[in-house]
Amino acid sequence: MRKGMSHGARSAMFAPLDQLGRAEAVAARLVDAITLGLLADAERLPSEAELAAQFGVSTVTVREALVVLRQRGLVETRRGRGGGSFVTAPAGGPSPSWQDSLRAVSLGELRDIGDHYAAIAGAAARLAADRSSTEDIQRLELATADLRSATGVEVARAERQFHLEVAAAAQSPRLTQEEVQLQRACGGLLWLPLGSGEPGGHEEHRAITEAISDGAGDAARRLTEDHVLNAVDRLAGLHLDLGP
Amino acid sequence: MDETRQVVGDEIVEHVSTLVEGVFDRLKPILVAVDTLLAGPSRPHADELDRLSPQVRDALGGIVIGAGFVCAPRTLSDQEFGFQWWETAPGGPPTQLFISLDPASESFLDYTRQSWFTVPRDTGRRHITGPYVDYLCTDEYTLTFTIPVRRQGSFAGVVGADVYVREFERALRPVLRPLGSRAALVNAQGRVIVSNSIRQVTGSLVREVDVASWWMTQAPLRGGTTLRRCGDAPIALVNSAAR
Repeated sequence: MRKGMSHGARSAMFAPLDQLGRAEAVAARLVDAITLGLLADAERLPSEAELAAQFGVSTVTVREALVVLRQRGLVETRRGRGGGSFVTAPAGGPSPSWQDSLRAVSLGELRDIGDHYAAIAGAAARLAADRSSTEDIQRLELATADLRSATGVEVARAERQFHLEVAAAAQSPRLTQEEVQLQRACGGLLWLPLGSGEPGGHEEHRAITEAISDGAGDAARRLTEDHVLNAVDRLAGLHLDLGP
Repeated sequence: MDETRQVVGDEIVEHVSTLVEGVFDRLKPILVAVDTLLAGPSRPHADELDRLSPQVRDALGGIVIGAGFVCAPRTLSDQEFGFQWWETAPGGPPTQLFISLDPASESFLDYTRQSWFTVPRDTGRRHITGPYVDYLCTDEYTLTFTIPVRRQGSFAGVVGADVYVREFERALRPVLRPLGSRAALVNAQGRVIVSNSIRQVTGSLVREVDVASWWMTQAPLRGGTTLRRCGDAPIALVNSAAR
């Protein structure tokens, strides 16, 4: 729970429920908490066991309630490390626009995000060049083709899938997990849903795929780093244009 | 290959087959339940997939850490994609997997491109995918066992199980050891699943032999390296020549 939430608010929210319609009641309580801002956007919910104990219901009931929240788009459940149920609805209105997100970040932070992402994606590309099989290359080619005609949110999706495929082709669970985390944290910013996406993005993906297919590890890494840094440069330009 | 190595090779091949069949056997009750679900005159609704959960959860155990049914597009009447998949959780009951099924969403990732889906679809036969990093589900180095399912003559999806490569490795290492440092189990592309050698570690590609080509004919090789398929699984035992 959010630190600083009053004891009263917390205990009221988690007071045990009446018998009837328990799943709906749990869902309603959680919806209220999200709407009132008692649970913040991107905050991880307590575990099912914890919620069950606090509401005085079974974990099955909690799970049913989470299904309702998921269907309403208020909660997203992520599997794997760092997984759990996360709130996806900020209190008080629609998510900040990309302009707000971009304005809020500093140039230095953008550069840092770019450095981190380039390091992971670049290393993955080099390993993929050494380790990928024909099947892996085929999937990379499919992912590359996606970017050619992508617009809006398809651009973000095509970028995400391509870099995930590269990390998977590298045969590295750790680099793949890093890639997943980075996409979660800054994928929305790096691959903005703008018009037709980065000019040359598709060509860059093709060059990377070719280098991987040729087993040219150093080239694959360099091309990937350049691809990420180009995206960051474009963002930096937009950031400056947006002004204060 | 001298007799001892032949005998040990036989043991390994049999051990692998037993392990593989053990996984596919766990999926049989799910297949039955899926057939029942798909047997109606009209396509099922997405929420009817929940009827599979008892059989899916029962399939978990041993080396199987994930299992379920994944639909082919438009198998369901009210959604393009859908699946019912459960995974084991350390120290707790199994948990259900949810990923974005909305193609318009930024976080949607297309599962219909993965080999565990396309190979059973295209060949009509069961398949073992991997070793691969499963970024859609486990985020771990995984082997995925899948069996195609049909409805009214058309491909309707796959029933499957996930096994961590490290668990597969743990089960087979002791059996592989007697063959010494040049033995490995590889998939049909020549990617190492389990090996006795740090030179040919899990995940690397065997380059001394073109395994993918050999797989077409499975003819005996010249030179000291031998390849033997393990039953009808896409897994082969590689035994390199002594140098």
